[in-house]
Amino acid sequence: MTRGPLFHEQTARQRIAALVDPGSFDELLPPPDRITSPYLGQLGIPVSFDDGVVIGRAKIGGKKIYLAAQVGQFVGGAVGEIHGAKLTGLFKAAARDRLPCVVVIESGGVRLHEGSAGEIAIAETMRAIFECRARKVPTIAVIGTDIGAYGGMGILSTCCDFRVMSEHGRLGISGPIVIEKWMGKKAYDSSNRALVWKTSGGKTKYLLGDADALVHDTADAVRDAIAKLLGKSSAVTLKSVKTRQKELARRLKRFGETADPDAVWKGMGVRDIARASLASGPEFAAIARRGK
Amino acid sequence: MSEKGHMTNTNSALRRQNKAQRLGRLGKLARGKFVSPDKVPQVLKRIIESGDILCLEGDNQKQADFLANNLATLDKKDLHDIHLVMSCITLPAHIQLFKKGMIRQVDFCYAGPQGTAVADLVKAKKFPVGAIHTYNELYARYYIDLTPRVALIAAAQADRKGNLFLAANTEETPAIVEPTAFSDGIVFAQVNEIVDKLPRIDIPADQVDLVVEAPYPMHLQALFTRDPAAITDVQVLMAMVALRGIYEKYEVQSLNHGVGFNTAAIELLLPTYGERLGLKGKICKYWMVNPLPTMIPAIESGWVESVFAVGGEVGMERYTAARSDVFFTGRDGSFHSNRAMGQLAGHYAIDMFIGASLQIDINGNSSTVSKNRITGFGGAPNMGCQPTGRRHPTKAWLKAGTEANPGPGSPPGRKLVVQMVETFQAGRVPTFVEQLDATDPSIRKALHGVAPVMIYGDDVTHIVTEEGIANLAACRSIAERQAAIRAVAGYTPVGLKRKKRETENLRARGIVQLPEDVGVRPAEASRSLLAAQDIKGLVRWSKGLYDPPPQFVDW
Amino acid sequence: MEKFAKAFPSSPLQAKTAKPWALAGVVGSGNLEVLLEVGGRPSDRMECHVETSIPGYKASWLAALADFAHNYPAGGTKVTINDQGAPPVLVNLRLRQAYDHLIKSNK
Repeated sequence: MTRGPLFHEQTARQRIAALVDPGSFDELLPPPDRITSPYLGQLGIPVSFDDGVVIGRAKIGGKKIYLAAQVGQFVGGAVGEIHGAKLTGLFKAAARDRLPCVVVIESGGVRLHEGSAGEIAIAETMRAIFECRARKVPTIAVIGTDIGAYGGMGILSTCCDFRVMSEHGRLGISGPIVIEKWMGKKAYDSSNRALVWKTSGGKTKYLLGDADALVHDTADAVRDAIAKLLGKSSAVTLKSVKTRQKELARRLKRFGETADPDAVWKGMGVRDIARASLASGPEFAAIARRGK
Repeated sequence: MSEKGHMTNTNSALRRQNKAQRLGRLGKLARGKFVSPDKVPQVLKRIIESGDILCLEGDNQKQADFLANNLATLDKKDLHDIHLVMSCITLPAHIQLFKKGMIRQVDFCYAGPQGTAVADLVKAKKFPVGAIHTYNELYARYYIDLTPRVALIAAAQADRKGNLFLAANTEETPAIVEPTAFSDGIVFAQVNEIVDKLPRIDIPADQVDLVVEAPYPMHLQALFTRDPAAITDVQVLMAMVALRGIYEKYEVQSLNHGVGFNTAAIELLLPTYGERLGLKGKICKYWMVNPLPTMIPAIESGWVESVFAVGGEVGMERYTAARSDVFFTGRDGSFHSNRAMGQLAGHYAIDMFIGASLQIDINGNSSTVSKNRITGFGGAPNMGCQPTGRRHPTKAWLKAGTEANPGPGSPPGRKLVVQMVETFQAGRVPTFVEQLDATDPSIRKALHGVAPVMIYGDDVTHIVTEEGIANLAACRSIAERQAAIRAVAGYTPVGLKRKKRETENLRARGIVQLPEDVGVRPAEASRSLLAAQDIKGLVRWSKGLYDPPPQFVDW
Repeated sequence: MEKFAKAFPSSPLQAKTAKPWALAGVVGSGNLEVLLEVGGRPSDRMECHVETSIPGYKASWLAALADFAHNYPAGGTKVTINDQGAPPVLVNLRLRQAYDHLIKSNK
């Protein structure tokens, strides 16, 4: 009856310990280095020794990787100057050493208190991701918590080769509250959690092909999914971008006018909405006819 | 503070005459018993008289909100000197009646969501309170000195004769209707819909004078839904300590749980940790508790024999109907509750009451009142007290009694009355204090000298915190009780005053027990022990029969 | 923000640790992170540095830290805490977790 810890409830460090081969994690810029935000303290906000992201080298199934895990509890996992520089450096190192890079995302995007530095860092990290992809170095984003991947981190995740999600994960550009603010409560009620998850949650993202794997909410399941994707990477080419554009145009044409997220599920071949809603990630993957 | 409406000194024939006059004033405003929604303000003006004792149904869950909102459209010139009697001051409309100066006196139990507004009214001297009651205490007074002349109530459905169906939330309607109807008072019901045939009759038409089909369904608060996702590791630790140190020790078979996350954690530990301890079938069989969604895993695992409730819970209708082997239901399977009877059961027939509180003082008195928030206490004191009228023995009752070392003039047994609190509330506000805010002179003065204490220290047998258990019943002096409370008060100012040697002495005698003393390893306390980690988990346990309210659904 | 430091008497840390530091907890609302490092001085003191976003609870902090130093051999360690309003029970729990990690890294 007792289960292991759930991935979405673990801390970044617990997730890393559970994902990688035992004892293989070698942290870069570890807490004793005390590389903390130079800005938060001035605003009366406590700092953290890792500035909200843990980075390092590790092994999964014996294969060397670079790995980052964001700390969603710390200022919402938001990317500040140090945090962003750590991510950029990690992906640059991955490209240099031709080692796969995995980022466990839990972030609303840029840290408002350090806006410009965060924006620049995210842009630089994306460039490093494309450098990885040009060299066929696999890049994988894991999105498994309700903080999800939003704003710059949402975009960044879609730059990676693959996205592994659980049903708890959410992926988007503007967060629900922002959408409601711009479009009105009638168009999008951010307090309607079912609506939010049906539009940005792991199941829908998997159904639409934005997520490449939909896994159980455990580190074991996330690790297995990562391990399967480690050998694969594809360069971003003009052709691949155009193909993706076409896919998105088709999706817009098909569902652009739909106000009911269930209609999208039905359109994607989900017959029993209630059953699919309650199904676990892998059960859902099995019953949903998935398309792009 | 007892007084009656201005009709007290008339004989019953006159009272009956007066009722006929009031209804007679309605003329064409009513067709038989039925009133159209737009006529309600005029109807209220004609059936209520200034000086009346008026009962407005509204507890912490169910509200006669359509009638209350209409009443609040009236003014002091329409109605004044009303003596308002009601369980819970919950709606903005209730507050309006005071602001408009229509109320001469109010007697109530609880003011949860309006606690701050009530405190403000008290400060502005616009809240002429008789007393803050416990539920059954107030219902009891409806039969003695606070009999309503008019009762405005809420029901799910009425049929064409005016029979009422109360659905899952029967709650206090019978306790209001009976004294009103049998004393020639007027019973006016708002219903969600009028139908040809009711699933069952809860209130016979004979006791109902007027019915209106409200344009919106009555307000129902999802009060007892606790999302397991919000339970913390610390609460799991406390739950483990309580299970081993109290449930297991006394073999608690019948009980009431409060509505907090601490007890929700206990419910969710039964099928996991409880099962591992081999406690299934030995504890937690008979419950007086609302249909708490967090009970689902324990029920599905076969722990629970029966559950009687004071109210329903939004979304539990299909589940309770499917498990009518456990819940009390009508012939049609629809859930049945009754607040007065439930409180009676919780007073006399359970081994243990366990609940939480915002403040506990050095003598074990507890309260949820603060200087800026006057809430009251609802039903907790009915259950969180020693029923000295009890005569039947159970294992737990006798064991707790023996431990308390009863004198020759006291009962041999004791009900377990347990307060389970973290030493600090959110925002580092200490739970343990030298003196309760409830004893503040301004509050006392407004309440005619009575501090609104929820549970008296003399009634409490145990306090459980993340630090351990204090067995107050086993203390032999006031000083000892205070030392035991300090010992589990952690790093609050109250706790910091403890003396090491005193604590060690109490621990040696088993009066203070740390987690390890009851066989709990704090490192083991983890949310992963919970049988369900979120609302979706509860729905899965219920096999899809639990329909949580939308604000809890993220799928 | 409130900042303070104090050293508490504690028996010397017995075990030799493989890793010179351990971290437990996260900085988030109602939570804190505890960094426990070996190499604090002297060897019969637990050296503590606290930075908290909620001022005014120094007495509780000092009592909780003193109890930990009393209950566990943590002499010669340095504790640094970033706090965002954690209750004392969490302070205790995180200290214990960091301590367990530090000892366990001795393999």
